[in-house]
Parts: sequence; C-alpha cells; structure tokens
Amino acid sequence: MATGAALLERKGLTRVVSARTWPFAAGFAAAVLVAWRYAEIHPGLLLHRATYTAIVQFLIGSLPPDLSIGFLRIVAEAAVLTVATAIASTTISILLAVPLGMLACSSLWRTGLVATSRGEGVLFRSLSFLSVTTRSVLGFLRAVPDLVWALLFVAALGLGPLAGTLALAVSYTGVLGRVYADVFDAVDARPLEALLSTGAGRVQIFLTAIWPQALPNLTAYTLYSFECCVRAAAVLGFVGAGGIGYEISLSMRLFDYRQVSTLLLAFVVILSLTDLASRRLRRFLSRGLSNPALSVEAMRSLEVPELPRTRAARSVPRNVPFWSVLVVVVSAIVASFYFSGFVGVFEEASQTPWELLHFAARLLPPDLSFSFVQSLWLPLIQTLAISLLGTLLGVLLGAPLSLAATSRLVFVASEGPERRRMISSAARHALYWGARLLLSVLRSIPELVWALICIVAIGIGPFAGTIALGLHTTGVLGKLYADTMEEVAMQPVEALRALGARPLQLLLWAIWPQTRRLLGSYTVLRWDMNLRAATILGLVGGGGLGQVMYNDVQLGFYSRVATLILFLYALVMATDWAGTRIWSALPE
Amino acid sequence: MIYALTDVSKCFASVTALEGVSFGVKQGEQVGVLGPSGSGKSTLFRLLNATLRPSSGSLSFDGNDTTTMSSDTLRLMRRRTATIYQQHNLVPSLTALENTLSGALGRWSLWHTLRNNILPAREDAERALDALQLVSLAEKRHTRASELSGGQQQRVAIARALMQSPDVILADEPIASLDPELSRSILDLLVRIAGDGGRTLIVALHSVELAREYMPRLVGLQQGKVFFDASPPEIAMDQWRCLYSASSPMDDRLPDEARRRRPRCS
Repeated sequence: MATGAALLERKGLTRVVSARTWPFAAGFAAAVLVAWRYAEIHPGLLLHRATYTAIVQFLIGSLPPDLSIGFLRIVAEAAVLTVATAIASTTISILLAVPLGMLACSSLWRTGLVATSRGEGVLFRSLSFLSVTTRSVLGFLRAVPDLVWALLFVAALGLGPLAGTLALAVSYTGVLGRVYADVFDAVDARPLEALLSTGAGRVQIFLTAIWPQALPNLTAYTLYSFECCVRAAAVLGFVGAGGIGYEISLSMRLFDYRQVSTLLLAFVVILSLTDLASRRLRRFLSRGLSNPALSVEAMRSLEVPELPRTRAARSVPRNVPFWSVLVVVVSAIVASFYFSGFVGVFEEASQTPWELLHFAARLLPPDLSFSFVQSLWLPLIQTLAISLLGTLLGVLLGAPLSLAATSRLVFVASEGPERRRMISSAARHALYWGARLLLSVLRSIPELVWALICIVAIGIGPFAGTIALGLHTTGVLGKLYADTMEEVAMQPVEALRALGARPLQLLLWAIWPQTRRLLGSYTVLRWDMNLRAATILGLVGGGGLGQVMYNDVQLGFYSRVATLILFLYALVMATDWAGTRIWSALPE
Repeated sequence: MIYALTDVSKCFASVTALEGVSFGVKQGEQVGVLGPSGSGKSTLFRLLNATLRPSSGSLSFDGNDTTTMSSDTLRLMRRRTATIYQQHNLVPSLTALENTLSGALGRWSLWHTLRNNILPAREDAERALDALQLVSLAEKRHTRASELSGGQQQRVAIARALMQSPDVILADEPIASLDPELSRSILDLLVRIAGDGGRTLIVALHSVELAREYMPRLVGLQQGKVFFDASPPEIAMDQWRCLYSASSPMDDRLPDEARRRRPRCS
C-alpha cells in the first residue's frame, strides 16, 4: 500500500484552488485597474475636508424632516401619483404582455409537437419567424432602461405623469412578456400532447393546457414585477415624469434637505406598503396553490432586487370574499388611470399618438457618423468602469456586513460563564439588528437618490456615480448574502464545531464551500443589473453614457439619441452573454 | 476514567431530554448505547462531545469538569473527541480529501487555516491521504462528498475523525442509513481503528443484534434515563423487550405528563 506521501509524489499536490482561478484573477485585476482610471476614482477626495463639511451640512440640514401641512400635502399627492403610475402601467403591460408572451413562446410556434403539428411548410416558417421577432422586440423593450424610455416620452409628450406611465408600460411589457413566454414554455408538456391528439387547435391548447398550468407562476411573477415597478415609478420623476422622484430632485436643487428627508421617508413607507399589499394579494390569490420560489433565471429577467421571502406566512389569511378584493383591485386600477394623466388623453384623443409618431420620426435615422460613434467610446468604457467598481465596492462592503446580518453566525451558541454570556448576548443583538437596519437603509434608497447625495458631497462625475452604485449594491448584496447563508445545511457546521473548529474556521470550511457557487452567481447577476443602472446614473450627473444621452436629449439631437439607444441595447446584449458565460465558467 | 457522568440532566425549553444519568467510561473502553428514538441518545452524544453542556449534574472529561470550563478549554476538549453522525455531516461541495483535512481544524492557527484554504500544507495533505488510505478511499480523494455513496461518505467521516487523532470516537447511529453488509464493514472499521490506538469508542446503535455482537458493554437509555448498563450476556430477554416497547416514536409528541403516566418496566 502506497503511503500518502508517495501518492502525493505521484499525483502532485491537492487541488484547492483550481488552475482556472489564476487567469480569472489576473483578468479581473487588470479590469479593475483600467476601471479605476476611467471611473476617475480619487479616494483622496473622500478624506478631503470639503467632503466632510458637505456631508455634515447635508445631515444637519436634513433634520428634522419637514412636516408642515402644506408640504405634507405635496408629498401625499406625489405618493398617490407614484403608486397610480405603477398600477396603471402594470395594467397596460399585463394586457400587452399576455398576447405577446403567447406569441413569443417557443412550444406553440417554434419547436415541439404542437408547433410542427401542421407540417413544416411556409405557414410554420412564417409563424416561427414572427415568434422569434416578437421575442427579440420584447428583449429590446426590456434592455433599454425604464428611465431612458421616460426620458424619450418626456421629450415627446412634455413633462407629466402620462410620459412616465407610458414609459413604464413599454419597459414592463418587455419584462413581463419575456417572463410570460418562459413560464408558458416551462409548463408540463404532456397535457399539450394529449390535447393535440384530440384534434385541438393552438388557441384551444393554450387556453386549456398552458394557461391553467402557468397561472400560479404568472401571478407570482406579476406581483414581484409590480413591486419593482413601484420602485421605478418613484425614480422616474428625476427626468420630469412626476411623482416622488420629481419632488426629490426639485428639493435637492433648492437645497432644502429637510424636504428631501421627508420625501425619502415617504418613499420607504410606500415601498413597505407595496411590499405588504403585494404579499397579501399573493397569499390571497395563491390560496391552495404552492407559492413558486424564484429561480435565478427568473430573477435575471425580472431584475428582482432581493430574494422573495420563502418562509411560511405568519398569519393565515382570513376568508375574504373574492368579489370584495376584485372591487378593491378594479377601483384602484380605474383611479390610477385617472391620476396618471389618461383623462387628458381621452379629451384630446387625436393628439397623443400623433405626437408620439412625430417624435419617433425625429429619432430616425440614427446618427452613425464615424466622429460621433468614436466619441462614444470614452463614455462607454466609463459606464463599464462604474458598474464594475460599483459592484466591487458593494461586494467589499456587503460581505462583512452580511456576516453580521446572519443570525446563524452571530448567535452561535455562546459559551463561557453566565455573566459574560449575558453581555455578549446583548452585544450580539446590537450587532445583528444594526447590520440589518443599515443594509435595509442602503437598499431601499435607489441608486439615483444616492447619486444625488454623493454629488452633493464630492461633485458631479463618474466617481460620485460609482460610490452611489456601490452603496445601493452593498445593501442589496449584503441582504442576499445573509439570506443565502441562513439557508445553508447546518449538519456539516455542527460536525466541524464538534471537532473543535473556531467560528472563522466554520465560516471558511463549512459555510463558504456550501454557498460560494450561489453567492458567485448572485454577484454576477447583480453586476449585470448594475451595468444597466450605470447607464442611467449619468442622467443625474453620475457620468457615463447616461450623461451623454441626457445632454443630447436636452439639445434635441434625437438622431444621436437613437444611436445611443442602439449602443445601450448592444451593451446589454453583450453583458447578458458575458454574464451567462462568466456564470457558468465560475470555478467551483 | 475518561468520562464520569454524575446525575446529569439536560432540559430544552419544555422537554427533559436526559434525567439523572450517571455512568463512567474508562480510557480505551468500547461502549454501545441503545434505546428507542427520543430516548436521549443524540443529546447524550452532544454532551459527550461538548457541543452542549448539562443543565444540572456534572460531566467530567479526563478529570476536568465541563460545567466550569471556559470556551477555550471546551474547544480543546472537542478536539480530543471525534464525532461521526448518521449522515449529512460532510460538506457536500468539498472533496473527500478536503473534508478529511477539515478534521485537523481544531489544531490549526488562524493563519494556518487561511493558508490551507488556498494550498494545504504538505504534511497536512499527507496525513489526510494516510487517513483516507486507512478507510480505503484514497482513490476517491478528489471526488466531491455529494457524489460519494452513503457508505463511502461514512468512511470519509471516519477518515476525518482519524485526522483529528482523537482520544475518543463518538459515533451516533453511524450505520442507520446503510444496508446490513455495509453496516458490518463500517463497524469493523470503527472497532479496529479504536482498538489500534487504544481509543475510547462510544457507538449508538439501533440494531440489538449488532450491538450484542460488537460491543463488550451496553448502556440502554429509555426516556432520558439509564435503563441498563451491563455486558450483553447479563441483559435479560424481557429487559430488551421493555426497552423498546415502553415508548413508541409517537411518544415524542405526547406531553411529559402523559409520558410519565405510562406504565414503566422495572
């Protein structure tokens, strides 16, 4: 029998760091160095006295929140407008996304028994082409950030809530259409085949076999996307589409930080209420149905900022009659259309579509002149740099915070004499709740608001954008990491504790190996989302492509704007592709 | 005496898992622990490997009372006791070798841990491979734990225990999820390894037949109390019957009063 030493001699040392890690690490380090330069990172600026003065002034100036009756009325109006915008646009996008999603789904038109049931003739080929086209159009609608859509609609229709609503409707039609198509494709295919053999047509098969199977997932995903839509609606105001965001940017520009803090509080309240309402509604709609957990894939297309709670709901829903919920939902939708500016559309019905067409004509043809395209390289690299460094900052700050926010790590059985245990228990609670609170504040304030705050502190430019993105990402990733670590299997941890491992060793040898894959894919996914976010940070002065686009819209160079949109689309496609590649090539 | 338990009780929020347990174990002794589910076997093992401390009574390990130990001394004690569980106690995404290596964690400094996380020190890797050889799994050293069969996983767990070079091996139902033939091979291995190093071996078993065959001393637990403590020939047939008949798994769900009112065998 060969001894261990001899075996090592023969097979080389053990593999703990795989060979593929080194090129990854080297490439990453190079990318960070390049990004550092282009994002104009000046850490010295953070230590500068003027920065501190600005931050302190901002903090002092923002307290106490402005609670005067007059201003509260403005806040209330803005809040109603924000929610109304979200509801109206989600309603429109559901109505559009169902047929488009059905058309984009592959099992009905492109592959499989149902699609090819009538042979593979000209009809099949043209339908298949139509389906692919629909899918790419949906992808395009989704890829262009909602804030850019808002910028375009504001330019076409003028300031006001209608532009915001339409922008969100377009953007979320893309999001929901893609998700619906995927859900339709994921249903059990056997009933489809059974129906096909009875001679049913496509529409019949869709209505009787696909739709009922897909319904629980559809409702769950739609409600998640509604939550995202409220967040988006609150931010749209930054480009003049009304609502909370508009008020925030207005108060910022007037340097009235007390109003800003009131508005931020209102924003957090709206988000929590939406979360609550959507959870109630989800529970109500899914009575008797299992609540599907979101896959990473679904999170990708939905851009869900955090893991939905999978834990069992605390209270059992009371037996609310269906019609009363229906009345509430329908009246909310009607009221939303009223508030979000559609009344005007009906009064001058002929105007709006013409305005839109007129504007669309001005976008064409895109300005593809060499000098302009060449001038875009710098902002493009800047955008990439902001997203990379912002994500990195989020990882570096979020990872340690997540350790403090994981109850399993913080509350490992305390040992030692009774008195010391009491003190340490109090300290542990303080640490845990402090970390959770900090993460939730960082997370619930959107990147754009952070950008405005950072600009106050360190001035306009990509550095402010990077810090803003990093702060928001810290909140998102910290929570996500902590939630992932809470789900880890505990038996191995217990086993290593029983053989005398210290807490840090437990983390490195039992928890990290179990979670690294998932944490890696969440991080790559977040980077993908941050790239989109980085393109819009420029709209408020955070550097990158967004800044160029904002300037061009202000100056009326619409053919350049069209080029920029194409650029954005290509960028998003490229990172989608790169994201999946990196994700699957990540070393175990 | 490596273990001396005097009137040990352990209560969780509303349940009394162990009540007035007293016995001693000599260095190098091999003891089987028997009892129906819910009789407190797992709690006893957690007390023995010092991941739990008794609510009352005293448990001393090698002459030191665990109730007054500081957390550092507790860790030293854990280092000297190796525990093997029923299953699911390996880190699934680590290889057999890495899992085996982790047995030495208690002895590594933090610096050494960080270093071994990137590239294991040569002498550590060699010792881990030697341990894997002893359980005849050296060929599978780069296979992930999640891809090993149940029996192979148990052998990796034993290798990890060896890596600890412990004074005591505690095995909590190590063969509960294995088929009879594999069970014997695992028990053979455990008994051999314990015998070679003069180590104390305490094994919880659910098979009376195997327990009588392998273990020179048996401790029967029932509802958290020691029911018998003797060598296999001394235990009468109806004692065996009473051990398992007085409580069924359903009992776990009954409140304490109801349990107490059940007739006891004596």
